[in-house]
Amino acid sequence: MSMAKFLFRRTLQGVFVIWGVVTVLFGLRAVSPGDPATLMLGQGATQDLIQQVREEEGLNDPIVVQYGDYLAELVTGDLGYSWRSEREVEAMVIERIPATLELAIAATIIALLIAIPLGVISATRRGSPSDYGATLFSLLGISTPNFWLGLMLILVLGVWYGIPYPTLSTGSTIPVGIGLIDLPTGRRAVGFGEAFMTLLTEQSFDEMTLWLKHITLPAVTLGTYFTALITRLTRSGMIDELGKPYVTATQAKGLPGVLIRYKHVLRNTMIPIITVLGLQMGTLMGGAVITETVFNWPGLGQRLINALSIRDWPLMQGIILFVAVMFVFINIVVDALYTYLDPQVSIE
Amino acid sequence: MISDRVKSNLRETFGESLLPKLGLVLLTVILVMAMFAPLLATHNPTRTGYFHENGGPYPPPGFDYTTTVAQDGEITQVEVTATDEHLLGTNTIGQDVYSRFLYGARVSMLVGLAGVTLALLMGVPFGLIAGYYGGRVDDGLMRLADVMLAFPALVLALALIGVFGSQPIRVPDPIVWAGFAEGMPESIPIPGSVTIVVALVTWVWFARVARGEALSIRNQEYVKAAKSFGTPNWKILVTHVLPNSITPIIVLATIQIAVIILIEASLAYLGFSGTTLSWGYEIETGQDVLRTRPWVAMVPGIGIVLSVISVNLLGDWFRDALDPNIEGSERGA
Repeated sequence: MSMAKFLFRRTLQGVFVIWGVVTVLFGLRAVSPGDPATLMLGQGATQDLIQQVREEEGLNDPIVVQYGDYLAELVTGDLGYSWRSEREVEAMVIERIPATLELAIAATIIALLIAIPLGVISATRRGSPSDYGATLFSLLGISTPNFWLGLMLILVLGVWYGIPYPTLSTGSTIPVGIGLIDLPTGRRAVGFGEAFMTLLTEQSFDEMTLWLKHITLPAVTLGTYFTALITRLTRSGMIDELGKPYVTATQAKGLPGVLIRYKHVLRNTMIPIITVLGLQMGTLMGGAVITETVFNWPGLGQRLINALSIRDWPLMQGIILFVAVMFVFINIVVDALYTYLDPQVSIE
Repeated sequence: MISDRVKSNLRETFGESLLPKLGLVLLTVILVMAMFAPLLATHNPTRTGYFHENGGPYPPPGFDYTTTVAQDGEITQVEVTATDEHLLGTNTIGQDVYSRFLYGARVSMLVGLAGVTLALLMGVPFGLIAGYYGGRVDDGLMRLADVMLAFPALVLALALIGVFGSQPIRVPDPIVWAGFAEGMPESIPIPGSVTIVVALVTWVWFARVARGEALSIRNQEYVKAAKSFGTPNWKILVTHVLPNSITPIIVLATIQIAVIILIEASLAYLGFSGTTLSWGYEIETGQDVLRTRPWVAMVPGIGIVLSVISVNLLGDWFRDALDPNIEGSERGA
């Protein structure tokens, strides 16, 4: 099967999954308590007004008709309006994407940079102190809830360096320090795109540094679980691979150990790692919801929690749908990546 | 159900490494804490107002602090010191942190065990039937699983809480009811909807693993033989397919308990657990006083980490000993 045909089929499957997600979301909204018209208008609305809105929004139609209308709107790219702010959901989702995406990518990069070397060292020096250290770290990493980790990072850095900061609930902006470097514990002062443009146009690193400082603590918080997970996967994958005959053969040929480890063995270990990374995108998004809440980070997760607490279903649906589409897309990319990593995997 | 080979493997790996022993001890301690919370607690965990005479909450040992009070029109600095009365201090509204720590273990363990049981009951029969019969049922299950996986577990859990609400079910506490622990809360709040929600977001893993096992078992000789005798399908499923697929399901169940404890803590942290006796909720209340009263957020977090570690250690032990190549064992919340 050709790549094009494979991608076509996977995309078709993806569309089916998205349809499923949309249906589940619609179902949840339909059975959730609370009258949408009342939620839209607030408690003080008159019955007449509520009836009028119900009629306009098609809430008096049979559920099947409502479902059909909803699907039809989605197909044309219309996500509807937020019940509370009356803004377009599409705009409310799009404006929050960069913050979440930056956080997720930064966390993934941190995870890969730390976890892969750590896993390789751990696997090649089994039973050594560095192996025990890595094992202990990864056990702690997968067992620590990230909201608590975030708070403890703030606490430890704040207490060690004695720099005061205000309460988090009010949205802290005063930095916690690591020595001379200030690490803010909340808010996102500048976007990566903006910072990068300043770097290009004004040759100034100031904005970039500001961005980096703000994202460090949230990214470490979100990335720790993945670092731990990938360390574990790399270690066990490498141990399996190192026992295979081809490794002995390359050793017998006199290839240097580093080359064997990183070029041959690691390459074969990457396949399960990438699979898990793809499937873990959901966990990453779930983690982002929490991390954004802890650090007051203006991303999709924070908006989702707000939408949820006021039962703003169109906004919730929009955000969850976006996350699901991302998940499906990433997993198609992962499947396609296999063929490059392992020529033995044929597309079928 | 569990073969002798599996048992001897379990014994062997248990003897080899310190980690499973540590996990077992930790889990036992936490379960004892959870079960006998009313007997071990020093104060009613919901009673407020245990404050130091100088005003603030009691600190645990090592966390003494100074606070300012107005005395005779003058503002003076006063020491607030730890007391034996409150082992781990008190929180911002003057509740005993140690007693709440014990009761928090209850909520975590209850939701973890009940959630995983519910997920097993939903996922395993569905998966076994789908894998055994194949065809449309199987296709349907796999597509449903794809849809479920496209939702981040925590996000789906939050959406479901939006539907179910988060009212806890109150059940009389047997220990208090029998008169062994006076002055303790008379009922246990069980976060019922949270338990259902965590089961709804995790059952699909069990269905997938059970399906995979059933798929390979249905072509085994003994199943064919049973069929040729005219044994009804349901009987084959119960007597042959289920017992032979139980090992990877046990491994997955252990790991999922850890995942569920983390989801419950996260939901409680975000304010959706329905009970104030959850560790996650306690961390949320400690967040605002992180700098001045750090123990309020620290103590319950340690509880979560230790519970999850203990379960993960046992999960690792089972997996190493039983070595099933299961999907989903490295996937979390």
